[in-house]
Amino acid sequence: MGGLAFKQDMFEKVSRKSHKTVEIKRPTIRYWEGVWHRLRQNKLAMTGLIILIIMGIMSIVGTRISGYRYYEQDLTKINQAPNSDYRFGTDELGRDLFSRVWLGTRYSLIIGICAALIDFLIGVLYGGIAGMSSRGVDVAMMRVAEIIYSIPHMLVVILISVVFSTSGTGTSVFILILAMTITGWVPMANLVRGQVLQLKESEYSLAAESLGASKGWILKKHIIPNALGPILINVTITIPKAIFSEATLSFMGLGLQPPSPSLGTLTNDGLAGMAVGRYYQIVIPSIFISLLMFSFNVLGDGLRDALDPKLRR
Amino acid sequence: MKRPLISVRNLKKYFNVGRGKFLKAVDGISFDIYPGETFGLVGESGCGKSTAGRTIIRLYEPTDGETIFNDKNIYDLSRNEMRKFRRDFQMIFQNPYASLDPRMPVRDIVAEPLDIHNIYSNSNERRRRVIELLNLVGLDEKHADRFPHEFSGGQRQRIGIARALALNPKFIVCDEPMSALDVSIQAQIANLLKDLQRNLGLTYLFIAHDLSIVRYMSDRVGVMYLGHIIELADSGDLYDNPIHPYTQALLSAIPIPNPQEQRNKHRIVLGGDVPSPINPKENCRFEGRCPYVLDVCKKKEPRLREVKKNHFVACHRANEIIGGMLN
Amino acid sequence: MGKLLDVKDLAISFQTCFGEIEAIRGISFHINKGETVAIVGESGCGKSVMSGSLVQLLQMPPAYYKSGKILFQGEDIVQKSEKEMRDIRGNKISMIFQDPVTSLNPTMKIGKQIIEGIVKHQDLNKDEARKKTIEMLELVSIPQPEKRVVQYPHELSIGMCQRIMIAIAMVSNPELLIADEPTTALDVTVQAQILDIMKGIQNKLGTSIILITHDLGIVADMSDRVIIMYAGKFVEEGNVMEIFNNPMHPYTGKLLGSVPRLNMSRSESLHSIEGSPPDLYKPPAGCPFFDRCDKAMYICEHNMPKRNYHSDTHYSCCWLNCPMAKDTAEGNEI
Repeated sequence: MGGLAFKQDMFEKVSRKSHKTVEIKRPTIRYWEGVWHRLRQNKLAMTGLIILIIMGIMSIVGTRISGYRYYEQDLTKINQAPNSDYRFGTDELGRDLFSRVWLGTRYSLIIGICAALIDFLIGVLYGGIAGMSSRGVDVAMMRVAEIIYSIPHMLVVILISVVFSTSGTGTSVFILILAMTITGWVPMANLVRGQVLQLKESEYSLAAESLGASKGWILKKHIIPNALGPILINVTITIPKAIFSEATLSFMGLGLQPPSPSLGTLTNDGLAGMAVGRYYQIVIPSIFISLLMFSFNVLGDGLRDALDPKLRR
Repeated sequence: MKRPLISVRNLKKYFNVGRGKFLKAVDGISFDIYPGETFGLVGESGCGKSTAGRTIIRLYEPTDGETIFNDKNIYDLSRNEMRKFRRDFQMIFQNPYASLDPRMPVRDIVAEPLDIHNIYSNSNERRRRVIELLNLVGLDEKHADRFPHEFSGGQRQRIGIARALALNPKFIVCDEPMSALDVSIQAQIANLLKDLQRNLGLTYLFIAHDLSIVRYMSDRVGVMYLGHIIELADSGDLYDNPIHPYTQALLSAIPIPNPQEQRNKHRIVLGGDVPSPINPKENCRFEGRCPYVLDVCKKKEPRLREVKKNHFVACHRANEIIGGMLN
Repeated sequence: MGKLLDVKDLAISFQTCFGEIEAIRGISFHINKGETVAIVGESGCGKSVMSGSLVQLLQMPPAYYKSGKILFQGEDIVQKSEKEMRDIRGNKISMIFQDPVTSLNPTMKIGKQIIEGIVKHQDLNKDEARKKTIEMLELVSIPQPEKRVVQYPHELSIGMCQRIMIAIAMVSNPELLIADEPTTALDVTVQAQILDIMKGIQNKLGTSIILITHDLGIVADMSDRVIIMYAGKFVEEGNVMEIFNNPMHPYTGKLLGSVPRLNMSRSESLHSIEGSPPDLYKPPAGCPFFDRCDKAMYICEHNMPKRNYHSDTHYSCCWLNCPMAKDTAEGNEI
């Protein structure tokens, strides 16, 4: 114990007044801060995010850059390959594809995000209520959902598009979104219901019940906030699904009314050009669709990893 | 002769496990709890004590029986009336890592009962009450804005206690509040609960499997085995003079933290395992493992009866055991 | 009488996004053949990290061996490759854990799980392996072993599952058994059975046991020597009588005083220790117990006390042992 020389007064007893409560040394890291921190470290997910941000911004301003409006036709300049004047070339009516593609991106994003949002709202409401209800009500509600979901999706979409289309040459944005969400909410409802069933057995839900909380209170304050993780992941996957759905519809000719472009209608328009070697007309919008899908998917994957507490360092 | 605060009469809770079989978690228990006392309910896993605690505050609906509080059977109350009653009964949960919502800051967790019942409309008053509650359990204002994962198990349990005290309840069911904690922290929480009881006039139902801590905390103790109370007595009497063979074996199995005593003591080692609580037979539940088993034990279920002053036992041979005729 | 296990100055840290967490901060101890050593500490003290480190069972990264040696039968475990470790784990050093239910494979019959262990390390044919399986089940007092071998874990009670775990661990007659909180998840009557089985095995096969626990009752029941661990360091060590009858470290005394005993009178109160153990993210430079010790002196805050031997087998790390201290380490509450 010796070796070092210590002064006698070091051996005085430390006087303690009231006991100070323990300081917490580590900084508070809120849940979503931690999620963001882990997401930031995922290079692929960040790439996807950056691509989305760029495409989002460009979809708003990109239509003005070239100087040509999306509907401006110049029949003297039809079917031009990409050049310094028309960055993405022109279509068969001489319209600037650069503006059209960016506007198409905007429409696709709007349609995709709105459809996902509606899915989210209906799904959370329906799934939340089913999960919190008694077993009989829950089973009944989910049976109804199953039946709705088992109706062939495309059939419903086509029917609605046909019934509601105005001039017969295309459908409005609103109808498109409606068509996609009419059966699309069921997977989200299923997910939310599953989360609710699991989380309502958690001890903090039970504690809230013992305090006198109603089921609605528990759902709103405890279950949904804790279920947001998986729900958010589902939303980031629903968006590309919706975008692709819309593209498919447009490809089949049920898309937006001309001259409004969406990435799907542009791809459809570009089909004709393929036969004669005008690949740019179909390839460019296809690449855009792929980029959007890829970015949302890697972002969703990254989010899933970031939310997994086991990987928490 | 004091009037009991809570009277439990023939409480039963069965769970339907399909194919006509029932898991009889609680199978007819009756006891009283007097104001200001701590009633300990003790037993090993599967004996039904946690289920009993949760049924008594109506977190589970009972299969049969009554819990009488303020002269009313709480199972007869409507949902609105029950909400008011909930302000008098609270619960402290076993797992401090699961009973606090990880997404809520401490101030919201502690204030939740106040919010549910709309006690404070003024946010300043609400904040003041939250800090008052945190101080009561040995935490302070700095902790109010933090999240549960930043605290140790003992501190989280204190937060849970603060939450339970928010509505000034009369009766608190403590469901194994210390099982998940370290020994020195258990002692902290035990002392805290005792102080709170003294200062706030609380009544506790203290549920645990650790007999030593139950002895320390309780005035009277009931021992449960497979859904029945098999012995009930004052704390000191139960531990010094256990009558039921199961209680004797249970007490003998507890290792004493003293090597000389522990290695020299007389041990009763129980063979076998606890039988299944699914569709049990209507005999003494302990007969398969009891060293004193007789034929009658295999046929008839013994009733819980007073065999000494304030000491109740459910055993056909209780009197022989008291008389020292069996060993 | 060579030492079976000799740990010298072991330090283990975890690399996290905040920085380094020093889980084990320089510990040394040894285990002899045939003895039971209990390592006692509360959560966060590092005992599970330490037990995992003895067989390289830690997740690396984020954990890493910062310094020190773990000499098992003369060879350093820290330097061994994963391949070499596979020959040691389950064979020369076995572990049993707290939760038997999750440690067993729910989709495999009991017999098969035991045979797996036999076949991995021993050269026996099918019939011999089956015979050995039944032998192991008898060793852990499982009734009707022939019936049990074809059952699945969920058909057995927790107590039975823990016995199976012990059987699997003992299959190769290891020299060292590390039991990490083996009875914490068990009821008290089942715990008594399991402890009896472990003692029986030690008597019969001479296995050394490291018993990691926070339960002072089972320490009193089973161990020959006791080591008290706090915040990544060993603060006291001695044989079981010395520790229980004459604890020299304030933490040990307080720990013993906080355990409720069946024969306490109702008027006695439990001694609790205020506060919580220090965060090992930026551990204190001095004695880790300084914050919570009511005999703390100024010197304790920034200076780490060294070992002071009270007998050949009993030491404690505390500045109260220094002759310059006015108070003494004796008279700690029991």
